[in-house]
Amino acid sequence: MSAARGQASSVKERADLALNDEFLRKAVKFTTERLRSGKIQAAEQHGNWDDWRERGRQIRLHTIAHLDYYLNEFTNNARANGVHVHFAQTGAEAVQISLQIAQSKSAKSVVKSKSMVSEELHLNHALEGVGIEAIETDLGEYIIQLAGETPSHIIIPAIHKNRYQIADLLSKEAGEELAPDTTILAGFVRKKLREKFLEADIGMTGCNFAIAETGSMVLFENEGNARMVTTVPKTQITLMGMERIIPSWTDLEVMATLLPRSATGQKLTVYMSGITGPKRSADADGPEEMHIIIVDNGRSNQLGNPEFQELLNCIRCGACLNACPVYRHIGGHAYGGTYSGPIGAVLTPSLQSNVGEWDDIANASSLCGACYEACPVKIPLHDMLVFLRRRKVEAGYDNKMETIGMKGFAAVAGKSKRLITAIKLGQLGTKLVARDGGIRLKIGPLKGWNTYRVLPSLPSKSFRDQWDKLQQEVKQDTPAMDPAMKARMEAFQQKRQGGNGHG
Amino acid sequence: MAETHQELLQRLEAASKTRQQAFMDEIAGKLNRPRVLSKPVQPFRGAPEFWLDFNWTLEEKIEQFINNYKAAGGHAFHLSGLDEVRSFIVSKANEMSAAYIVRQDQEELASLALEEALPEASIRVWNSEEDVNWKAKAAEADFGIVRADYAAAYTGSVTVLSDKTKGRSVSLLPTVLFVLIPESRLKTRLGEILPDFDTMGRENLPAGIHFISGPSRSADIENDLTIGVHGPGVVYALIYKES
Ligand code: SF4
Repeated sequence: MSAARGQASSVKERADLALNDEFLRKAVKFTTERLRSGKIQAAEQHGNWDDWRERGRQIRLHTIAHLDYYLNEFTNNARANGVHVHFAQTGAEAVQISLQIAQSKSAKSVVKSKSMVSEELHLNHALEGVGIEAIETDLGEYIIQLAGETPSHIIIPAIHKNRYQIADLLSKEAGEELAPDTTILAGFVRKKLREKFLEADIGMTGCNFAIAETGSMVLFENEGNARMVTTVPKTQITLMGMERIIPSWTDLEVMATLLPRSATGQKLTVYMSGITGPKRSADADGPEEMHIIIVDNGRSNQLGNPEFQELLNCIRCGACLNACPVYRHIGGHAYGGTYSGPIGAVLTPSLQSNVGEWDDIANASSLCGACYEACPVKIPLHDMLVFLRRRKVEAGYDNKMETIGMKGFAAVAGKSKRLITAIKLGQLGTKLVARDGGIRLKIGPLKGWNTYRVLPSLPSKSFRDQWDKLQQEVKQDTPAMDPAMKARMEAFQQKRQGGNGHG
Repeated sequence: MAETHQELLQRLEAASKTRQQAFMDEIAGKLNRPRVLSKPVQPFRGAPEFWLDFNWTLEEKIEQFINNYKAAGGHAFHLSGLDEVRSFIVSKANEMSAAYIVRQDQEELASLALEEALPEASIRVWNSEEDVNWKAKAAEADFGIVRADYAAAYTGSVTVLSDKTKGRSVSLLPTVLFVLIPESRLKTRLGEILPDFDTMGRENLPAGIHFISGPSRSADIENDLTIGVHGPGVVYALIYKES
């Protein structure tokens, strides 16, 4: 359990915190805006963006559809390279395996490069529990680790901290006053972490892609810390989501084209590293012992599920966060899971088996479709959000307001020629709720989102301000609905009308 | 008697092999079909077709590489040959008072004879002696010098492969990095490089394949771009004509 989550446990509280933090709002907006326009530029510059997206989608679809073959192939090839491959059904098992290796090595410290899987597992706490120091080495991750918090963005984890807060944190670590100057702060971290890299017993990484045909693992990064972690310590442990596979290096060109452009607008990240096994016996650097832990932790629940299987295509680029007007407004921590934004809103409940508790996080979306437009592998996140909402209603978690909300959606969506934009839906929702006397949702941690729409906890003036801003943003930002997307939503709409009684 | 590390590895390996079967069976089961045991036909492999015959001329490649590398915060030059490469590095070493230099054990780099031109500096050749902590040598170096195995103009990237004579640390730990790029190794697209690793095949791949596209950077503090966070903050790419 993370410290940050302990502090404000209800999602509404988290959303309130996020909304009341002026800096966070500005920072999120500035960063995501910058990343987003970088992405749009990079995509335009590159040209034929939709052809590349389609290619990326096809490669991912094919790999996931044959995942047993490719994962098996990867495993056998990685073993042949001298890697110790392990399988973990659950997060707890992955933690267990990591701890056994670390303890057997009598490790004192583990240097880590960014890994969302490791966030899922809360591995740092487990390591510290057995007296092993775990050091996040990505600059942003290091900062939030010092603060005892969790990442608020997949790509820029410390987006919610300003330079003064960072200077305070680092000064404490340095034992001297550091000026709130980016160069000075980054310089301190470079020096400090250099020592950590050189003395660490174990380097731990995530994995962006795993190449089935050669058993190689690929990492994308800008700072060089992932290279440090895979070059300097004697033992390397890599945590890999079971769906990270692509067939070949040839296919990597497509992922290398889509991922950096979508994540940061770069043509390629500063470093792209393909690691194939531990160091060769004649090499003078690289790990002597290498482990890859293949983690399920709820992922396989998506397999064979027509509505959600495409979730496994996700390449964790963060583009859907940057495109999402809701994320841009409330920031990552309000989502309360490891993953935030539209992908988090779908992935979190899908990875958790107790869907009942989590699924109303799906309400933290305006269904405007911007996430789908931004996604480099064309995952229909907004469709999935609609499914989640429906599933919740069907599972009997509905209440009056929610049902009215769904009806309202159906009525509007069904009638309009051009499907409604997010904001219209939002307005409708607000009206319905308001008419209902501003009642609160009683179930699930994300009652906060609806509550926020109804605004009882916020002064009406500031809410209006924010709402207008959000509205403007959505108007400006929401592209005309893609015909394919429209078709899918209409098809869904028809099914709904023909079928159950909730529409 | 406590379990030795070797015993632990064996135990985990045995467990892993049993789990592997179950894992794959479960995937197939969830996909509602029997296990796929032979290589499926890939309907789409690699980049879209239109991309495959996109190639720049040498002049275009050089120009584009330089533009892209500079845009990422690196320095890139086109030099007339190894002689000019030599004087370039020597003048930078003098300008920055580089005292420790580490280079890969590559022919082109040896031919620069930097030891003669920079008698004051300590110049080490990667893995050329036993019982030296080479990672530490790279970590203390002001300059690291490597010859690229490939470069791609479209993304402004250089590619370095590891082996006995080519340390991963040399392009990573020093403060300043020089990458020499013979013209013939400069390609247009990543797609002219990556498929080579499929062709080489698993047994022949090096442990480390690294694409480097500029100085180490981070925007994690208020989106303010800083360079040299962990890797080299100053990077020179020197494309040169081969004689
Ligand atoms: S869902 Fe798509 S846009 Fe969002 S992180 Fe995954 S790949 Fe990126």
